[in-house]
Amino acid sequence: MNEAVPERPLIDAVAPMSSLRSEYENGSPIFLKQIDWLVKHGFDHVRRTRGDGDCFYRSLAFAYVEGLINSRERDFAVGSSLSILESTKETLDKAGIEKMVYEDFYEDFETLIQSIIKPGKDGRTLNTQQLLLAFQQPEVSNSIVIYLRFLTSAQIRLNRDSYEGFLVHPDTKDPMDVDSFCANVVQAMGKEADNVEIEALCRALQLNVDLAYLNGVRGDAVDFIKFRHDLNPNATPVVLLYRPGHYDILVQKPR
Amino acid sequence: MASISARRLAKELREIQSEGCPVGITLLEANDFSRWLFTIEVMGESLYQGEVYDLQFRFDAQYPISSPAVQFVVTGGKQSPIHPHVYSNGHICASILGNEWSPVLSVIAVCVTLQSMLASCKVRPTDNDRYVRNAPENPKKTLFHYDDDT
Repeated sequence: MNEAVPERPLIDAVAPMSSLRSEYENGSPIFLKQIDWLVKHGFDHVRRTRGDGDCFYRSLAFAYVEGLINSRERDFAVGSSLSILESTKETLDKAGIEKMVYEDFYEDFETLIQSIIKPGKDGRTLNTQQLLLAFQQPEVSNSIVIYLRFLTSAQIRLNRDSYEGFLVHPDTKDPMDVDSFCANVVQAMGKEADNVEIEALCRALQLNVDLAYLNGVRGDAVDFIKFRHDLNPNATPVVLLYRPGHYDILVQKPR
Repeated sequence: MASISARRLAKELREIQSEGCPVGITLLEANDFSRWLFTIEVMGESLYQGEVYDLQFRFDAQYPISSPAVQFVVTGGKQSPIHPHVYSNGHICASILGNEWSPVLSVIAVCVTLQSMLASCKVRPTDNDRYVRNAPENPKKTLFHYDDDT
């Protein structure tokens, strides 16, 4: 890696879409049209993540927690999030992931979510700015990424019939069996996630996610892949931006 | 708050102390959270019968997010096992210590995996002399090419 180039933070501050657009101005006109389409439809900001192979899990975790902070019924949202999170431990136990191996990561995630409603030593609850600082620290950030990786792996292994046949090696695209896919792709850091992992994780967290596909395939619109696992199908989804090989968080203009 | 590695290693150590190591593995030394030493022996009939090796783990503050640096001890009269994935300087070419490391693994899980690895033919890697001449001190700094899983 060239050390002269400053590395992007694990998660960056919100930036206008024009900053992303400028990177394509000498490139594909279809990408530019798609970016303009997003802006026209209210997605005029983006929160970018480091391209370290963990960007899906990190983006999803950040946007998920930020959604809880911004929820109109914050106490209720945090309460149900914590009870879903609590139940995920059982999923990990059933999949044979040792408590010793996951509990530190779990606690970091739980503590972060609790701090949305429970004031810390300074008497304040978690806001978006502090959330950003927390996610820029490798310790907290990576703990949460790992917990989500373990949960995704457990979800796939416990429901192997639903996922078997869709698992391919991220580089070679060769088919893989459930156990080696989970061991080598899902549970290892730095391995990019695909729709199978997204589907499994949304199911485990009972989450709605919209994935905007900025892939230069069509110039007239941007396709959104919708994952619906919240018990309320109309619950506000987490919106992520997918470009081939990378995930960022898409930010919508407040209405 | 204690570093993530100290939190985790304290738990791993407690479990080793309360439940013991698997057969053929003993904890020699764990005085801190930066370096642990084990002996490892292949049980039952094998080419390595009766041979005991010392295995060293070094941890950075990011363990278990980052993998431990694991190698056989080759000082003080000790030698590394003769194996196609083990170099004479003690370095080990195993994907679980490199790009397939996962925090789901523990120190004992690594010991057990390496113990079961020591069951194939007794030869040095084909590039042993060249590798050992140029190898960095820390095996994690080597970008191994994992060509098979024997």
